[in-house]
Amino acid sequence: MYAYIIRRLLMLVPVLFGVSVVIFFTLRIIPGDVAQTILGTDATKESLAQLRKDFGLDRPVIEQYITWMSGVLMGDFGESMTTGREVLPDILNRFKITFELTILSAILSWIIAIPLGVIAGIKRNTKTDFTVRIVSLLGVSIPNFALATVLILILALTFSYSPPVGYVGFFEDPIRNLQIMLLPSIVLGTAMAGAVMRMTRSSILEILRQDFIRTIRAKGAKERLVIFNHALRNAMIPILTIIGMQIGVLLGGTVIIEQIFSLPGLGQLVLTSINQRDFTVIQGAILFIAFVFVLVNLLVDILYSYLDPRITYK
Amino acid sequence: MKPLLNIENLSINYMTNKKDFNIVKDVNIKIDERMKYGIVGESGSGKSLTSLAIMNLLPEVLKIQEGSIELNTDSTKDLANISKKEMRKVRGREISMIFQEPMTALDPLYTIEYQLLEVLKIHKTYSKKEMYKIGVDMLKKVGIARPDQVMKDYPHQLSGGMRQRVMIAMALICQPKLLIADEPTTALDVTIQAQILDLMNELSDLHNTAILMITHDLGVILETCERVAVMYAGQIVEESTVEKIFEEPAHPYTKGLLSSIRSLGNKSEELYSIPGNVPTPDQYQELGCRFATRCPYAMDQCFNQEPLMYQVQDDHLSKCWLHVEEGRANERSSERTRS
Repeated sequence: MYAYIIRRLLMLVPVLFGVSVVIFFTLRIIPGDVAQTILGTDATKESLAQLRKDFGLDRPVIEQYITWMSGVLMGDFGESMTTGREVLPDILNRFKITFELTILSAILSWIIAIPLGVIAGIKRNTKTDFTVRIVSLLGVSIPNFALATVLILILALTFSYSPPVGYVGFFEDPIRNLQIMLLPSIVLGTAMAGAVMRMTRSSILEILRQDFIRTIRAKGAKERLVIFNHALRNAMIPILTIIGMQIGVLLGGTVIIEQIFSLPGLGQLVLTSINQRDFTVIQGAILFIAFVFVLVNLLVDILYSYLDPRITYK
Repeated sequence: MKPLLNIENLSINYMTNKKDFNIVKDVNIKIDERMKYGIVGESGSGKSLTSLAIMNLLPEVLKIQEGSIELNTDSTKDLANISKKEMRKVRGREISMIFQEPMTALDPLYTIEYQLLEVLKIHKTYSKKEMYKIGVDMLKKVGIARPDQVMKDYPHQLSGGMRQRVMIAMALICQPKLLIADEPTTALDVTIQAQILDLMNELSDLHNTAILMITHDLGVILETCERVAVMYAGQIVEESTVEKIFEEPAHPYTKGLLSSIRSLGNKSEELYSIPGNVPTPDQYQELGCRFATRCPYAMDQCFNQEPLMYQVQDDHLSKCWLHVEEGRANERSSERTRS
């Protein structure tokens, strides 16, 4: 098991290398210029050239890559071209918010989706099942931004609510933090819940048809035991796959939701730095997101083997 | 004395909002305590459904339409008409079941220990230590050499034969009065089949458990059972002791089945097979005998009127018009000799 984890971690090296190459060279190809953004449209050619030289953007691309990469390997992601702040602490700060948002939405979605999915699976083709299926279909198909806007509107009109401005960390002021995070989490959680519900339902249905479920019923077990100890646990594997993917994606930042609720998360950082062509920040952030994605996948794979004894890694 | 299990006029229908047709019809079976009873028939003959009906484990679309399933243990219960809660007390404790596919009949995510002792946990109140000891003893009884190791194993780590042994241990651990074995050896290697049958016989004698053996294999019946019911298209067509069925089969279907077994003697001859296929429930004739379309002796009457169970001899029933005809012929000849 440990050897497997180490091997998987080693596989990070080629993955991250590939990501770094792609993002680095794509950025150099797309039009736009950080010097222009900083100095504005009135800047003279000389000052623009000078600033580019300061950033090292006049040197050959390969050379720029090597300089950047050797820094990254030493743990130095460089400084932001626009703010001058160090990139890595900035990313980590933003990631905290994205991480909290992801975890909250995930937990909210599980609380709703898994029980409802199980119920729909057990009561297949009844009114309950149809209701759950319609709700989950809505959850999957309503765009985030629409749901977010509608929710804010409803709350604003009925409770004269206004989205809080400015982020407060959970450990500074938990209540205020939750006030800020709850609404975006509900919006993101709804979409996640839709997919998880559908997967739970079909997975439970599949398992309930299996022979071993009949064996357990033949033992005289109560339905509760059949469903929770046996059916749900067996059904968890495909559900886990979906959950893992959702979390991996969300940890990369949710641009639109962060914009609507003015949360300074990872998505917002990437968006602004792309707009400003702040190469060092984009490169650092993308590399970090890829790293997190691979880690989440590894975690899911480890959880598989914990859930299912047939899955072993050597 | 009342029989342990008395199934009377059991009919099972396939019922949805759109369709409703009969699948199993008028099944009558009596199983005494410690008896080994066999139901033999092709796939689709309704033998497995009959066994699932006893356990109240029929799929949702199938319903018991008529009849009673009386179980006489400490008290008398009608399993065709019993609350879910009462039925749960019967399952695993008074009647238990072994299924055809040992490969899929165990939950892949739990150890043998968990699944074996689960039955005990549901029905009995032993301490953990006692339960473990009972489990290990039971595994020893079913011929598992290293029970402590197997307790820790997961189903995928065991062979098919081993899993079926575990299934038998699981079925007998609460010492039920009746063990239903639905094709218990079909999925196993031939060499293992005999071992499993011997084991079941041995343990049922030891625990005074009656066996209801469901199989398509006449060999299995011959090896294990005392009485046998031959099922065709959802009905019992012949019922008697194993000896009578094998030596003097009365129903044309049973005769056909028996002649389609290869024996060492008739190597050179072509193997007999009953012409046609088993009808599916929607093809069952409303009137007449369900076997008529494939029967070499079919008469007009067979297509118009359903035959009754006819007592061919003591303790031997057969559902065929031929016997009535024979009876009349005999009567006529005896009349002639008298006159």
